[in-house]
Amino acid sequence: MDRDAVVQALREALGDAVGEPRALPVDDLFVPLELSALREAVQLFQNELDIWHLSTITGLDDGEQIVLHYHFWHGSGLTLSVSLPYDQAEAPTLTDLIAGAGFYEREVAEMLGVAFAGLGEMAPLLLPDDWDEGPPLRHDADAEGGA
Amino acid sequence: MDRMTIPIGPQHPLLKEPMSFNVTVEGERVLEATMRLGYVHRGIEKLAERRTYIQVVHLVERICGICSHVHTTTFCDAVESLLGLEVPRRAQYIRALLCELERVHSHLLWLGVLAKNVGFDTVFMYSWRDREIVLDIMEGLSGGRVSHAVNMIGGVRIDLDDEHVRGILERFDTLERQVDRALVLVEHERTLRARTQGVGVLTPEDVRRYCVVGPTARASGVDVDMRRDAPRPPYDELDVNVILHDAGDVWARTLVRTQETRESLRLCRNLLANLPEGPTAARARRRVPAGEAVARSEAPRGEVFYYVRSDGSDTPARLKVRTPTLPTLATLPGQLDGVAFADVPVVLAGVDLCIACADR
Repeated sequence: MDRDAVVQALREALGDAVGEPRALPVDDLFVPLELSALREAVQLFQNELDIWHLSTITGLDDGEQIVLHYHFWHGSGLTLSVSLPYDQAEAPTLTDLIAGAGFYEREVAEMLGVAFAGLGEMAPLLLPDDWDEGPPLRHDADAEGGA
Repeated sequence: MDRMTIPIGPQHPLLKEPMSFNVTVEGERVLEATMRLGYVHRGIEKLAERRTYIQVVHLVERICGICSHVHTTTFCDAVESLLGLEVPRRAQYIRALLCELERVHSHLLWLGVLAKNVGFDTVFMYSWRDREIVLDIMEGLSGGRVSHAVNMIGGVRIDLDDEHVRGILERFDTLERQVDRALVLVEHERTLRARTQGVGVLTPEDVRRYCVVGPTARASGVDVDMRRDAPRPPYDELDVNVILHDAGDVWARTLVRTQETRESLRLCRNLLANLPEGPTAARARRRVPAGEAVARSEAPRGEVFYYVRSDGSDTPARLKVRTPTLPTLATLPGQLDGVAFADVPVVLAGVDLCIACADR
């Protein structure tokens, strides 16, 4: 299925929750999405569009909010982007739909302090057990080592 | 029967990298396995935000001690796409040549690890001896056995002359003969089959649910290979035969990887025969225009994913790396569930873990 058809299907199902897509230089399309429509979009991917491969989730702090990019792959790249305000950095888990999302969500939770509602296990994944310096990929975090 | 929890790792002879498993057994049967990553987490994504693009090429090369070159290739690909830079075809071919050589040495290394874990030391010694041939070739080309520092943004810093090509082709004759011999052993040796068949099975449905990639997915009959599905030059000019098996067990993974080794050698010959003339690098600006880029490549273990976000400076605003081991790791508790304790090393070897990659 070509990506225009995917965007069309998303628009038909989710209406205004789907923003204006932007194409990236190498074969990827970023589609901004309202957080409330995320799970519905993924269910649509799985049930009707045969899109099942989530490459990863990129979490980033763009200086104004936390952005989550859900990078899907269906013969070409398709990324769903949602934004979370700092004071409400919460997103629903996708692990019941995509078992492989668990590690990606735990990593975003650790590195950016995002809470995933419904994500059971929250033991540290990459950071040490006694890490107490806050999420390292937030811009207010202080990292060792200069350029 | 009493239950017992056996800690395996983080330091142990089974894997050469640190990772911790807690395996609960009842008698010889595994009931449950949990794991802990992070022992070699180096914060590479964070470090990248404090270094220039030129420095980050060398940083990402150190994510993995086996497939270092595919990391720099994929990172450079993402940055070059942001720069709108056309990489010379000769450089693309040299990059791909190193990628395929890396796959050969990675698969041979893996075959040795598996053989060692099932107690078949003869295959271990053969495959690691043959791997040395590949490492010698790569050392001859770049000066480095596993960290090659070949890539730079805009192209490669090495070139091949006729003598290089002749030397490589001579070594390939030996290598192909040895790989063919290993293939016969792997296909027909009953003890290897007995230890691997029906062990660590992943169904195509498991592969989809866990988003597993690479040879592990292909051994479960899932037809994915980024070299064919998202071909970045020069793979769009190469005819990659994707090796598939459908049993989904460690045996099928052994067949996929061994046959892929043969296929990669064929691709290397093809690349060398068609090596274009011309420059090996294009000049790249230090500052990268603001924007985002995604790049994917087929590493020896499957799809490697890079996301680069630029704010217009000479330093990445965000670098995200997803290595192929991470989704595979998530399947391990399921694969270990119910196996005999003696098969734990076979399952762990079977998925070809690269812990440093997963931890970053």
